[in-house]
Amino acid sequence: MKIIVLLDQIQAGLGGKEKADTELGGKKLAMGAADTIDKTLKKKDSEVMATFFCGTEYFSENKDLVSGKITRMLQKMKPDVLLVGPTYDYHDFADMALEVGLAVQTNSDIPVVAMVASEKNEDLVPQFSDKLDIIHMPKKGGTGLSDSIDHALELCNKKVNNEDISELKSNYCF
Amino acid sequence: MQKQFEKVLMPVATKLANNVVLRSLRDGFLIITPLIIVTSIFLLIGNFPIPGWEDFWTGVLGPQWAEWFSAVSNSVFSFTGLLSCFGIAYAYGKNRGLHAVNSAAVAIISFLIMTPTSVTVGKKTVGAVETQFLGPNGIFLGIFTAIIAVVIFRFAIKRNWTIKMPEGVPPAVSESFDALIPSALVVLVFFIVRVVFSLTDYQTAYNFIYTLIQSPLKNVGNSLPSVLLYNFLSSVLWCFGINGPTIVNSVWSPIFFALTQDNLTAYNAGTALPHIYTQQFIDIFTTYGGGGSTLSLLILMLTVCKSKRVRELGKLAIVPGVFGINEPVIFGLPVVLNPIIAIPFIIVPVLNTAISGFVFSMGWVPYTNGVMLPWTTPPLISGWLSTGSILGSILQLFELVLGIVIYYPFIKMLDKQYLGEEAAVEKDADIDIDFSTI
Repeated sequence: MKIIVLLDQIQAGLGGKEKADTELGGKKLAMGAADTIDKTLKKKDSEVMATFFCGTEYFSENKDLVSGKITRMLQKMKPDVLLVGPTYDYHDFADMALEVGLAVQTNSDIPVVAMVASEKNEDLVPQFSDKLDIIHMPKKGGTGLSDSIDHALELCNKKVNNEDISELKSNYCF
Repeated sequence: MQKQFEKVLMPVATKLANNVVLRSLRDGFLIITPLIIVTSIFLLIGNFPIPGWEDFWTGVLGPQWAEWFSAVSNSVFSFTGLLSCFGIAYAYGKNRGLHAVNSAAVAIISFLIMTPTSVTVGKKTVGAVETQFLGPNGIFLGIFTAIIAVVIFRFAIKRNWTIKMPEGVPPAVSESFDALIPSALVVLVFFIVRVVFSLTDYQTAYNFIYTLIQSPLKNVGNSLPSVLLYNFLSSVLWCFGINGPTIVNSVWSPIFFALTQDNLTAYNAGTALPHIYTQQFIDIFTTYGGGGSTLSLLILMLTVCKSKRVRELGKLAIVPGVFGINEPVIFGLPVVLNPIIAIPFIIVPVLNTAISGFVFSMGWVPYTNGVMLPWTTPPLISGWLSTGSILGSILQLFELVLGIVIYYPFIKMLDKQYLGEEAAVEKDADIDIDFSTI
């Protein structure tokens, strides 16, 4: 299974809040938080084929542009699945992840899985939870991170193989 | 190994993080923290660690100048017990879905009910409250009073033991009547508590709690093993992505708070500082640049690492790192769930604790004065201000360098791995994905 991960500038290792104007970019590498996911994946003969990153402020000023570019790039690179997040309880990142995730799912045939914490995102999650598969994850500094990564990757795997995801969804998704 | 560790730690961490009483203790101390920081600055100005400071200003402003500043610092430091009671009752009431202000008010009254209100001076007895009952020594009494008062208050509210006003009565009036019976119950209970203690050898609840709980707990907390365990657990939890200090503080914060306030009170009074292991000791002499002492790590990332990713992150994170903000490196390197970095991330703070503990116990650096500096104060400056001695800065510098030595082999290992990945990708094609033309 080949995964592309979408991260904000903090999780991609490109700086803190002050770098929210980072433009959309990507590397054919597992950057920052994606590296943790890559380690888990490699045990199962899968890998992160690329990391896309975008500053949250840049996204909010160029929403359609960013969603469009990401969708077209995914169609070109043909990953098996797109993982948006882990966003923890970073609200702006969660907003970007869910909006991009929905755009990709609607406009392409690439499956999408999101990882979002409920804290600080009470307004966002209900808007997307019936349209996207959003794995429940802990807030920043909360407990249960590695379990939530396992659940997200299991969900990715099942979606790629067109297996039944109803049990996973009811247990671990919003 | 990692999974097994997680299995043991996770349930405990989750329980501690979700326990309402412990969470309210943390939140309650946070309410009064800004006050302590602000008044600490006044204390620091009054006692700046430069020889001749006091004489200079006495010459300029007159002999009463120090009193102007101590009036501000006393306003908080002599009342930390009372303020803790207020903050914790407010937070606990709020977390329990009650009117926070009502909860805080009823807790403060309960605290005052148990406080002696007359002082014997010579042969005369005057109506007065001694600040010793309201200050650092009253912190634990403040904590217990806050929790018990709110529990009783809530007990009555939940059972609807309230006086119902007819419709049309303004909400402010009916709300005040809502609190009448619950408040009466709380007052009655603490009245009985005061009477019962006055019949025993302890005389007051203050004496009872201080002798049986606060003093022994302080002795346990004020020890090297206690702080070693604290820093070990904090770092281990961070490696699993859990905000370690938040969890372990639920157990330790009342103890460290009391120890710190003791030193602060002594510093304010100009007497000998009693304790080594204060909050300042932990914040200023065990980690540099945030949890895991990541400033040492960042210096290496910036100077000896070759992988583009690591160097770039080093460049971006060094300035926030100097001011104690290490979120970019914790999540960006990442430290979280990264077994290679976990080893030095745990070892460095624990080793620093042992070294600093030894240095302070030998008396090579003066004890921390308890002054709460803003948490963004950079190392070297913080070491000087918190001990009033340049030796504090020297100890920090030594440990910062030691951290570099310990982190070195581990970050090089990670750097080599990242470099390999970057090289492998670059061989095939350009590593960067170009979004500009799509």
